[in-house]
Amino acid sequence: MEYTANCKIIEILELSDEKLIELSNKSVLSLSFEEMKKIQGYFRKLKRNPTDVEIETIAQTWSEHCKHKTLTGVVDYTELIPLKKGSFDKLPVSSRNKIEFLKDDKDYVQYEKKERTYNNLLEETIFKATKELNKKWCLSVFKDNAGVIEFDSENAVAFKVETHNHPSALEPYGGAATGVGGVIRDILGVGLGAKPLANTDVFCFGDPNISDSKVPYGIHHPKRIAKGVVAGVRDYGNRMGIPIVNGAVYFDDGYVANPLVYCGTMGILPKNKIEKKVIFGDLILLVGGRTGRDGIHGATFSSVKLDKKSDVNAVQIGNPIVEKKVLDAMLEARDLNLFRAVTDCGAGGLSSAIGELGEKIGARICLDKVPLKYFGLSPWEIWISEAQERMIFAVPLGKKDKIIEIFKRENVEATVVGEFTNDNRLVVLYDNNIVANLDMEFLHNGVPKPVRSAIHKIKEEKIQESIKMNYLEISQTLKVLLADLNVCSREWIIRQYDHEVQGQTIVKPLQGNCIEISGPSDAAVIFPYTIIKDTKKGIVLSNGFNPEYGKINVYKMACSSIEEALRNAVSVGGNIEKISLLDNFCWGNTNSPEVLGSLVCVANACYDMSKAFDVPFISGKDSLHNEYSTSDGKYSIPPALLISAMGVIDDVANTVTMSFKNTGNKIFLLGVTRNELGASVLAKIKNIRIGIVPAVYPNESKEIMKKIYLAINENVVESCHDCSEGGLAVAISEMAFSAKKGVQIYVDSVKTETNMLTMSETLFSESNGRFIVEVTHENETKFREVLKGSIFSEIGCVTDDENIIFESEKNKLKLQENSQDLLKIWQSTINW
Amino acid sequence: MKKNKVLILRTAGTNCDYETQSAFELCGIAVERVHISVLIENKSKIFEYDILVFPGGFSYGDDVASGKVLSNEIKNKLGSEVRKFALSGKPIIGICNGFQVLVKIGLLPDPELFTQVSTFSHNDYNKFECRWVYLKTGNKINNESNCIWTNKLPTIVSLPIAHGEGKFIPKNKSILNSLNKNNQIVFRYSSKDGNIPRYPLDPNGSVDNIAGICNKKGNVFGLMPHPERYIFHMQHPSRKNFTGKNHGWGKIIFQNAVDFVNR
Amino acid sequence: MFKIEVFTKEKFKNSKGELVLSDILSIGVRTILKVRYSPLYVIDGNVNYSEVRTLASELLSDKITETYVCKKCIVEDTVKNSKRDVVFFDDGEIPPPVGVCSTIKIWYKKNVTDPVSESILKAIKDLGIVKEFKVKRVGKYYLYGKISRITLHNITAKLLVNTLIQEYMVNGIYS
Repeated sequence: MEYTANCKIIEILELSDEKLIELSNKSVLSLSFEEMKKIQGYFRKLKRNPTDVEIETIAQTWSEHCKHKTLTGVVDYTELIPLKKGSFDKLPVSSRNKIEFLKDDKDYVQYEKKERTYNNLLEETIFKATKELNKKWCLSVFKDNAGVIEFDSENAVAFKVETHNHPSALEPYGGAATGVGGVIRDILGVGLGAKPLANTDVFCFGDPNISDSKVPYGIHHPKRIAKGVVAGVRDYGNRMGIPIVNGAVYFDDGYVANPLVYCGTMGILPKNKIEKKVIFGDLILLVGGRTGRDGIHGATFSSVKLDKKSDVNAVQIGNPIVEKKVLDAMLEARDLNLFRAVTDCGAGGLSSAIGELGEKIGARICLDKVPLKYFGLSPWEIWISEAQERMIFAVPLGKKDKIIEIFKRENVEATVVGEFTNDNRLVVLYDNNIVANLDMEFLHNGVPKPVRSAIHKIKEEKIQESIKMNYLEISQTLKVLLADLNVCSREWIIRQYDHEVQGQTIVKPLQGNCIEISGPSDAAVIFPYTIIKDTKKGIVLSNGFNPEYGKINVYKMACSSIEEALRNAVSVGGNIEKISLLDNFCWGNTNSPEVLGSLVCVANACYDMSKAFDVPFISGKDSLHNEYSTSDGKYSIPPALLISAMGVIDDVANTVTMSFKNTGNKIFLLGVTRNELGASVLAKIKNIRIGIVPAVYPNESKEIMKKIYLAINENVVESCHDCSEGGLAVAISEMAFSAKKGVQIYVDSVKTETNMLTMSETLFSESNGRFIVEVTHENETKFREVLKGSIFSEIGCVTDDENIIFESEKNKLKLQENSQDLLKIWQSTINW
Repeated sequence: MKKNKVLILRTAGTNCDYETQSAFELCGIAVERVHISVLIENKSKIFEYDILVFPGGFSYGDDVASGKVLSNEIKNKLGSEVRKFALSGKPIIGICNGFQVLVKIGLLPDPELFTQVSTFSHNDYNKFECRWVYLKTGNKINNESNCIWTNKLPTIVSLPIAHGEGKFIPKNKSILNSLNKNNQIVFRYSSKDGNIPRYPLDPNGSVDNIAGICNKKGNVFGLMPHPERYIFHMQHPSRKNFTGKNHGWGKIIFQNAVDFVNR
Repeated sequence: MFKIEVFTKEKFKNSKGELVLSDILSIGVRTILKVRYSPLYVIDGNVNYSEVRTLASELLSDKITETYVCKKCIVEDTVKNSKRDVVFFDDGEIPPPVGVCSTIKIWYKKNVTDPVSESILKAIKDLGIVKEFKVKRVGKYYLYGKISRITLHNITAKLLVNTLIQEYMVNGIYS
C-alpha cells in the first residue's frame, strides 16, 4: 500500500494502553479503550499502521450515533421494586435473600431485587414485541432509514424521527434547520426514495424566562435557543414545502444546557420501491451539495458530552433549496427506474453512506472526484465531512447518462465517485493512491460489544393529602394551568410553519369552529390526494411525550407516552388496529448504571405496552450522553422518551376535530378518573411532591379506543378530545373556547375510581385513557349502544353563552368562567 | 379538436405545484409541470399551452427578497414570451410566490407596460404566518371587474394564506387609484361580515387590504391566498360546507379559467 | 471590490430592525429607541460601473421600498476597514440612517455555507454578467439611542452573533 502526502499514517501498533486512549480523545474519535485495542489488534495482524482515513472510517462506523452500541449491547440489569409494608414477613424464606434494605429520603425501605442480562437490549425488548406481533402490514421495520407500513394495495408510508440536540445547542438556527434537512433525507433515502408528505417537531427547552445568571457560561439563553430553533425548523421546512403538522414543546430547567430537538418526516412510496439492491459494477453517484469542512466529527461528537470547548466544526448550515432540487429530480429518476439503491449522507458523511450500501459486497471510491466547496480539504475530511444535502445512489452503468441528465436539468450536481465491487473491501483512493483499504466484515461487525451494568430503583408512590379548594382557588388554578408553559397555546410557533402546503392537511394542528380562533389538535391527518389519485385514505400522525412523569416513575412515563400517542391518534379518527409507533430516547450519560437502568426500564415498558395494545414499533433512534459539565458538576437531562404514532385511516371523511360543534349537544366522558396527580401540572404549580403518577390500564383503554373508532365511523361523534396535561378542566375549556361556545359540566357525573376524589382532584387529575366526546341528541342512543360495556358517563352539554361552568352539588361548588377570557390567557404565554 | 393544457412553471424551491396540478385536473384539464430550464431552452414551447401558472413556493429560497431571483431570471430569459402570452388574453395566475413574481416582473397590474410599479414587503407583524382569512370580493367587483378567475364567487369567501412578505405596496397614490378605478382589486382581506379587518384577519397590513389583483383585461390574476388548498370542503378548518357542494371556494377559481379556455 | 448597502426608505417598515428592537427590549434594555437593519453586499470580482449599477438597482434592492449606496473599496480587508471607502454612486435618495447611532456588522466566517450568496451568484449570471465573482453578505444594524459599551456588547453577544460561525464588528457611540 502506498501513501500520499495528503494522508497521514497514524502510529498505533506500538502504542501503550494509555496512549491509545489519549489518541482517541485527542482526535475526537470517541472510541473506547476496548475498541482502540481491537483496532490495534486488527492492524497488528496486517503488520501495518492505519491511515488517518482508515481510523476515522472505523470511528465513524463504530460511533454510538451509527451503531447504537448501548441499545444493542450487553446489559446486566438490576431492578429494585419497593415492598409494601409488612409483606416481607409473608415472603417464603427462600426468596428473602432477594430483599435489600436501602435508605430512601428518611426511612429504610425493603426492595425486592430482580436481575436480568440482555445480550441485545433493543432486540430483546422493543424489536421483540414487533416480531411477536408480526403484523403483515409492517413492510420494513428496524432496518432501513425509516419504518415502512402499508398504505394501500400499491403504496406504503414511511416515518422517521431523528434528534439534532448537540448542534442545536451550539447554533440553534443552523442546528435545528439541518436537523429537519437530515430527517427529510432519511425519508428520501428510504427504499428507493419516498415523497415527504409531512414533518413533525418536538422540542425541550429550559424555562425561557430564566435569569441570565442561571444559564451556564458558554450556553445560549433558553429563549434564544427556542427562537432560533423555531426559526431554523420554519425556514427549512417551509422552503422544502413539507408541512409541519404535529409536535410538542416541553419546558424544564433540566434542558437549559442540553435542549432537545426532535424532527420527524413521513413520506409515501410505491410498494415495489421498498427494497434496495446493490450489484457488483454499479456506479456510486454522489448527488446534491458540495463537500466542505462543515460537520466534521458530527457522528462521533454526538456522543461527546458538551462543554465549553465544543468542536466548532460540528456546526452545519443547511441550504434547503439544494435539497428541494434533489427531491424533485430524484423522484423522477426513481419512477424511471434509473437506480438500484439510495441512501442519505448523514452522520459520518460519505464514509457511512457508502460503507453501508457496500457492506455486503465492497466499494471503491476516488475522493478526488468529490466536488468541493473550496480547496484544502484532506482526504479524511472529504471522507467524513457531514456537509448537508448530499445523497448517494447506486446506478447501473447503462443508466448513468440518463440519470445525470435529469439532475442536470434541475441544476443539481451529480458526480460518479466510484463503483461497487465484489471483494468485500472498502477501498478509498485519492490521486490514484490508496488511502484506505479495510475489510467490510471487520468494519461493520468488528466492534466489540460493551458490557454495561444498569440498576433501576422504582420509587414508592403515595397518594397526596386530599386537595381541597374553594371555587375561587379552582378558578385561579385553572387560569394558572392554562397559562402554564407546558399547557399554553403553541400558536405562535405553529403559525410560522406552513402547515398546509401540499394542501393535504385535513386535520390541522390548530382547529376551531370559525377561522378566527383555534384550539390545539390532538393529531394531524394527511389526505394524500395529490399523489394517490382517487384515494379516500389518510395518514394520522400524533405523539406522546411526558418527561415530567419520568421524574417519579420512568416506567409510567413510557406507558403514558405510548398511550397518549395512541389516544391522540384515536381522537381524530385513527384506527388502533392500523397504528405503528416510533421510539426516540434522549437520555443522559448511560455510562452511569442508574441512567442506563432507567433506560432499560423504559425499554421494558415499551415492550409491555406494544404487546398489550397490539401496536408494533417500526423504527426508533437514541441520543445518549446528553450531559453538560461545568466546574460545579454535571448536568444530565431528565430522561425523555418521545413516542410518535403513524396510522392509516380508511376514509378521511370519517375524521373529527376537537372543538365543540353545536349548542345543546351532549358531552360524554369516556374512561375512569383516578386520584392520579403525581407529577401532574397541578402538582408542579402547587409544589406537591407526592402523588400517584398516572398509570396505563391497557385493556380498559384499548377497548375504549376501538369503540371510539366505531362511533366515529358510524358518524355519531361531533367532536372528540383527549384529557392530558391539566386534566378534564383544561380539555373541556379548550373544546369550548376554540368553538366560541359555552359548556355546562356536572362534575358529580364523572366516573371516578373511588368516591374519595375532591372536585379539584377530579378536574385536574391526569389519568390516562380518557376522552371527551360530543354527541347530538339524535345520535345518543346509537352512541350508547356502541360504547356498551365500557366505562363512560354523560357529564354535561354545550351551551351558547360562552360560559364554562363546572358544578358539583356534592361539593356545593360552582365555577363559572368566560370562555374567551380563558382563550386569551391560554394564548398569551408564548407570544414572542 | 386540440386539447387544452395548463403549464405550471416550476423551478428550484417551487412547492405548491402538485396541489395546483390536482386542482386543475379536478376541473377537467390536462396539466404539465415544466421546469424553467426546459422552457428557457425552448422558449416558444410556452405557446403550446392555454393557461400559465406561477405556483407558490420559495423560488430560489426567496433569497434577497421574495420572488426576486426568479423574476430577475424570467425578465431576462423569458420576458417577451411571457408578456406575449399575457397580451394574447390567455389566463395567467400567480399564487403567493407566483403573485410576487408577477408583480416584480411587472406583468401586474399592466402587462402592456411590463414595468414594476408595486411591490411586497414583510408582513406588518414581522413574521411568516399560515392561517385562514376572509376575502371580500364585493358585488361591484363581481359585476364590473373583467377578472375571468373570480366569477360566481359570493361576496365573502375564505382561503388560507402562508407568507412572510405579503404586504402589497403600490408605488404611489395614482397607481392605487387606477387599480381601484379599473376594478382591478379583486380580493381584499376583510372581517367575517365584510368590514375592515384587524390583525390577524388582516394578516400583513397590505395597502387598502389588497390580497389579489388582476390586469384590466382580467386574464392575468395574482393573489397571496392559496385557492389550491381549498378544493374540498374538508380542507376548511371548521370542516363545514360553504359551497353547497362537496368542493371549496378554490375549485371555483380554477374552474372559471378552465371554462374560459374551453369556451 | 465594491460594497453595496441597501437601506429601507424611512417611510417603510424595517421588519428585521423591529424584531431586533423587540428582542433588545425583552432583555431589559430600554434606552434603544429604534433599530434599522441593512444588508451589505461585498462584491469581489472584475466588474465595471454599469454592471454594479445593474446589480444594485435590479437585483439587490427593491425599487419602491429601498434605496442603496455603492462604495468602491480600496483596502483589502473590506468589512472591517471602511475608512477609505469611496462613494461610487447611489440612487439619488438620501439613505435613511441619519443621526447618531451605534452600528453592529455581522458576517459569516470563511467557509461557512451562505445559501443567499449562492443565489446571488446565480442571479448575477441571469443578468447576463458572466464573470467570476465572490459575494459576501454582511448584516448591518443601526441602533439609535443611548447605550453603554457593556450593553452594546451584551446585545451583540446575547441576541445577534454566534461567534462559532460568525465574526462581527461593533462601532459604538457611547453615552
